[in-house]
Amino acid sequence: MADWFSRRQFLINAGLAGLALKSPSLFANTSGTPSLSPIMRRIPGANESIPAIGMGTWITFNVGGDEQLVAQRTRVLKTFFDLGGTVVDGSPMYGTAADVIGEALDSLDAHDRIFAATKIWTGDESETRQEAARSGRRWGLDQFDLLQVHNLLGWQGHLETLKQMKANGDVRYIGITTSHGRRHREFAQIMEREPLDFVQLTYNVLDREVEDRLLPLARERGIGVIVNRPFQGGSLFRRFQSEPLPGWAGEAGVSNWAEFFLKFIISHPAVTCAIPATSKVEHMKENMGALYGALPDADQRQRMADYVGSL
Amino acid sequence: MSGADWLSYSLQDFVMFGPQVFLRLFVRINQDLWPWQVLAVVAAIGIPVLLFRQKRFERRLAVGLMAVAWAVSGYGFLVGYFGPINWPAVWFGWAFVAQGVLLAAAMFSGGVREAALPSGRFVALWLIVVCGLPWLAVAESGQWQALALFGIAPGTTAAAGALIVAVITGPWRWLYLPLLVLWSLFSAAMFWVLQAWWLLVAPMATLFLVGAGSWLSPRTAQSPD
Ligand SMILES: NC(=O)c1ccc[n+]([C@@H]2O[C@H](COP(=O)([O-])OP(=O)(O)OC[C@H]3O[C@@H](n4cnc5c(N)ncnc54)[C@H](OP(=O)(O)O)[C@@H]3O)[C@@H](O)[C@H]2O)c1
Repeated sequence: MADWFSRRQFLINAGLAGLALKSPSLFANTSGTPSLSPIMRRIPGANESIPAIGMGTWITFNVGGDEQLVAQRTRVLKTFFDLGGTVVDGSPMYGTAADVIGEALDSLDAHDRIFAATKIWTGDESETRQEAARSGRRWGLDQFDLLQVHNLLGWQGHLETLKQMKANGDVRYIGITTSHGRRHREFAQIMEREPLDFVQLTYNVLDREVEDRLLPLARERGIGVIVNRPFQGGSLFRRFQSEPLPGWAGEAGVSNWAEFFLKFIISHPAVTCAIPATSKVEHMKENMGALYGALPDADQRQRMADYVGSL
Repeated sequence: MSGADWLSYSLQDFVMFGPQVFLRLFVRINQDLWPWQVLAVVAAIGIPVLLFRQKRFERRLAVGLMAVAWAVSGYGFLVGYFGPINWPAVWFGWAFVAQGVLLAAAMFSGGVREAALPSGRFVALWLIVVCGLPWLAVAESGQWQALALFGIAPGTTAAAGALIVAVITGPWRWLYLPLLVLWSLFSAAMFWVLQAWWLLVAPMATLFLVGAGSWLSPRTAQSPD
């Protein structure tokens, strides 16, 4: 990532300058001085940091061969990169999303700006390498930064191959995923035994089960945590967007509901990155606002959860 | 997977695309097919006319056109356009093609009523379907280019195809019914998740028309033969 840092930083700053002009309060931290550096998180056990807000692609990037929508999603991805994002999460399960990411990366000439994370999603445990290669062709990448076993499907066989692939330098990081609170007991057992770089799981201001076991375990074992469904698939907005933000939101570094939901997540000390999905440039701008400014402390996090619980 | 895991799945988890992408399929196929839609409109109007004619050949042509409509909307819309963003659509697409083949086979094997259809009610319902249902996608998307025409869009085609039950006889009818019911349930569930309320009318109409088609069929309709 070092080679492109200066070009990238320039683009980020250019994008931020635009956003700051549009919304001067967006990047004001609690001390009132503007903060233009993105919130980065170190990958445990690695000498590398990634931005704490990434991007998911389930549903939002599955637009098939619709050129008009591919161009629109390309603008969403461009906004994401321009505002400092790098981590993009996909899966062969997401229909044409992989092809759309590939096309968007081509037209943005942005293959070197992405931290590419996809999944192995096949019950055939001998297909790990082939599926990774197929995904690589669709994304237009020689290699992924992170390969994860999707929803633990065939995890024993896949994980063995992924460990070999990592040892051979065919992938940089490996992991497993779950969502919706499924199979947490088995998930924890794998986290205890296997040399994982990342786990991906569901965590948001309403779904907090992982705080009890999985998040502490990730810290203990030095495993990075990617958080999926940060908006509970969008239902958090449907439920709460019509409500006012609490009066103290500004103190917690929050200026809209997207930041409220995302900052709650990334301020947990075990969390490396949250991956909200969106099909809209405006929403992407809101979501990327959470990558900047102050983060809530432990007390404020509790108040955030209590506030949402009271609505 | 444990029972508790299965319980954590909802209909939502199985719909892998958004409403905007789905509605754009109608716009895209109309743009790509232009001006061949004219043939679909001619077929939609021609089928009830031909079913009323006295010549056997003309009535067979009507059923043949319906068979082609099943196959074209299945292969064109479902396999070609919808399939890439939603895998089950491909299976339904091939099932639509098979339904067309089934109808053609019924026609050549005595499974289709040979006498002219006497019912003006059939024509009225048919016209409501082929002229009314195409506008549901327009109402939902706000774009007239999304017109879901008979013979191109699967929902309108299936609803019209449900009325054709009226001319299918014997065991052929039982072979013809399952796809109508399965497609209606599948598309209703999908539109429910997408919250595409206008589109929900099409599967509900299809189920109603299966009943209407049976009611208008030779056993209940008074045949002049
Ligand atoms: N097992 C697994 O591995 C697994 C499971 C689930 C998810 N994931 C990953 O996690 C990612 C995120 O989860 P998700 O996509 O299920 O749900 P999510 O990110 O919690 O929510 C996405 C929804 O939120 C809406 N949204 C986004 N930003 C918004 C904003 N600023 N204002 C209002 N609405 C907004 C989007 O609608 P718009 O398009 O209108 O913005 C979309 O409908 C997925 O895309 C996928 O990559 C992985």
